Amino acid sequence: MTVAIAIVGAAAISRHGAGWRGLGEALAAGAALPGVPALAPLGQPKVQKMMSRGAYLAASCLGALVREARIASPSSCGYFLGVGASGGSLDDVIALLAESIAGGGFSLARFGDRGLGACNPLLAFQLMNNFTLCHGAILEGLGGPNAALFSRGAGTTAALIEAVHAIADQDCAHAIAGGADSALHPVTLAELARERERRPALAPSRAAQARDASSPRTALGVVEGHASASGDAGGSAGPGRDQSGRLAFTPTEDTAPGAIGVAPTNAAPSGVVEESELVPSEGAALLALQALEESPNTDVLGVVEGSAIASGLGRPLVEAVEEAVTRAVLTGADLVVIAPWCRAVAAELRGWAHDNVPDALVVDTSALGEALAASPALAWVAALDLLVAGRARRALVLGAGTDGDIGAVVLAREPA
Amino acid sequence: MRRRAFVRGVGAYTPLGETWRETAERLAAGETAIRPITAFDATGFPCTVAAAMPVQLPDEDRRLPYARIAAREAWQMAGVAGEPARLGVFVGAESGRGRFATVLGLARAARSRAGGGFDHARFGRQARGFAAQIDESITSPSAVASGLAAEYGARGPVETISLACASGSAAIVEAVRAIRLGQCDVAVCGGVGADVDPLMIAGFGLLGILSERGVSCPFDVHRDGFVVGEGAAILVIAAERGDAACEIAGIGRSLDGHHLTAPDPDGDGAARAMTAALRDAGIAEVGYVQAHGTSTPLNDRIEIAAIRRALGAGVARAHVSSSKGALGHWVAGAGALGALYAWEAVARGRVLPTAGLTAPDPACDVDHVIGGAIAKHVPAALANAFAFGGANSCLVLTRCA
Repeated sequence: MTVAIAIVGAAAISRHGAGWRGLGEALAAGAALPGVPALAPLGQPKVQKMMSRGAYLAASCLGALVREARIASPSSCGYFLGVGASGGSLDDVIALLAESIAGGGFSLARFGDRGLGACNPLLAFQLMNNFTLCHGAILEGLGGPNAALFSRGAGTTAALIEAVHAIADQDCAHAIAGGADSALHPVTLAELARERERRPALAPSRAAQARDASSPRTALGVVEGHASASGDAGGSAGPGRDQSGRLAFTPTEDTAPGAIGVAPTNAAPSGVVEESELVPSEGAALLALQALEESPNTDVLGVVEGSAIASGLGRPLVEAVEEAVTRAVLTGADLVVIAPWCRAVAAELRGWAHDNVPDALVVDTSALGEALAASPALAWVAALDLLVAGRARRALVLGAGTDGDIGAVVLAREPA
Repeated sequence: MRRRAFVRGVGAYTPLGETWRETAERLAAGETAIRPITAFDATGFPCTVAAAMPVQLPDEDRRLPYARIAAREAWQMAGVAGEPARLGVFVGAESGRGRFATVLGLARAARSRAGGGFDHARFGRQARGFAAQIDESITSPSAVASGLAAEYGARGPVETISLACASGSAAIVEAVRAIRLGQCDVAVCGGVGADVDPLMIAGFGLLGILSERGVSCPFDVHRDGFVVGEGAAILVIAAERGDAACEIAGIGRSLDGHHLTAPDPDGDGAARAMTAALRDAGIAEVGYVQAHGTSTPLNDRIEIAAIRRALGAGVARAHVSSSKGALGHWVAGAGALGALYAWEAVARGRVLPTAGLTAPDPACDVDHVIGGAIAKHVPAALANAFAFGGANSCLVLTRCA
């Protein structure tokens, strides 16, 4: 991708707080992060009950972006979002199932007669992944071309590529691209923990997903969500080990004001975080984009110069990095921002940056935690913050999610 | 000059056949796959019929097996070969679901003894056991695309679009864009739906959008909701024409930005997506419209109004039908199935009918295809897919010049 597109706005919600300014500086300085903030209510209470946590984060972030970027015609604005597996309220699922028990076992007939009545009828909306995109779009009146790409990393970069080309092809004059997700839903936490235990740290999850016929499988899928692993008795969420050194879980709490589903967990990870473990988190980040020639200089925060994805399937991670960077057409970066899903991957990416962009400032976004579909986009806005602050002129952003693919994005303060 | 996206192969696995060829023959004869649900006891459910597979596959999650069967037909027909790095996979899919026994196990272990709600601490204590029960390869939306990528050795872009009822169409849109942009030369694309299960029937029923009468009859004056169906529809598209008879010449997307379930009452979002696809294809008229046509009272009426607005006077020369009368609503797979209907019209000159339609609603006044297929030379066809949440995706297929 070599079409330069102007960045005219940004927004983020992360463990750094609400907002993107200062995010890159804080990460570069290794500053303590206050945690994901409590979010203000959105829309009507009924609407909020239909939102998964990812949808809530996305809609909150989108509202902030639309206000900052002053998008003149939202009805034609494109919206391309990396989304996760939407997690519903487990209280609802449990209520539904509890009413479906007869004779000590699950009864489909009772499920039909009584279980359905015990469930929030709006549960179905929490489970649809595209509603992470649609809730915000409805609240802000967005009406242009769109896509919700399921992402455990690379899909979010695909969303940016789509947005850039939608503008370049004149499908829309403005587009918003980014990602929103939460890794703090219990079921996704369990999923991720299982992945962690099943595979070597650097193996892409697609290898696991390719259905090894020798692997016995069972499934849980009513609600997809997110997982935390920690053995700390203090109750904070995050990866760690129990007293016997085994992966274990700590509770997440459903206490944040206005929280939908599972609330954010602001506590820092506790216990010993081993190199290959992920730190579950959540967040959202968006960029507002438009054609460079249409953008008054005063509005331009930066430029998307290139973006590409390379498959990580069946090869060393650095090979995928090389391919993605080559396809994104990187020239002369003085900043590398990495979004690794775990510490072992972070070490690989830092090593690659040291060898290949030796004079660049390297900023690791690991302190934001693994926010799945949101992580690459959070790295973009961190890079943008450093560019706007004058810390660098051109940034390479490398996203390496649990899907194993590599997304490379080149951002610059000014057009080449 | 823009690269073109030629349709080299099509395939489907449906309740009416293990191939698209077999399915199309039965659709042409006016058959329907909608039957009483037998896969589980649907007593007390809001809708007790579905277009389900006659044979239950042993796999716990049906999405990937369905997609694999459909993809093999499409791949064989396409006869393409190329380097893995130039092959992409684009699939519209939602999350998979496991057995109720597994879900019940979670509920029991995580349920608070005191209040009955979800007990995070209890879940945490027993989570190791759950971790062994949860398999991302079954539940993840991306499992289907990943599985197909592994089967065909694809090393190009692999994307999963989760856009509810527009997922399959949007996945084809992504594939066309990837071909045009040179990100790949060949793409396996389409969608899969496997929602004939208690939870989804219950979920849709709670929303009041399923047919209480148990009849799927798009555009009929007696329509009262949709019927869930399942299956997979896959296309292989390529930058090289080969012996392709048609191409995907136009793509269009829009958001209603209006309401989570109800369409824009003016059909503005749907009309904008159709118009964008026609503009992208460089044409103003089509001979056939594969309507989204869900059989819900509101959607069908608004869609027809939107079609009339998008085609203008040209609507008089277009036949309209919907797949959902015969095969139900595939949700994430619906848009891809619609693309196959359009392909059948353009490539084979056969316009498939709307099963279940006997008394057209005057508010849906267009040239319907009723009873059986009609033979018609169709230079161009439009395929619509509109999702809950207001995301719209449209394709224009044209005969190769």
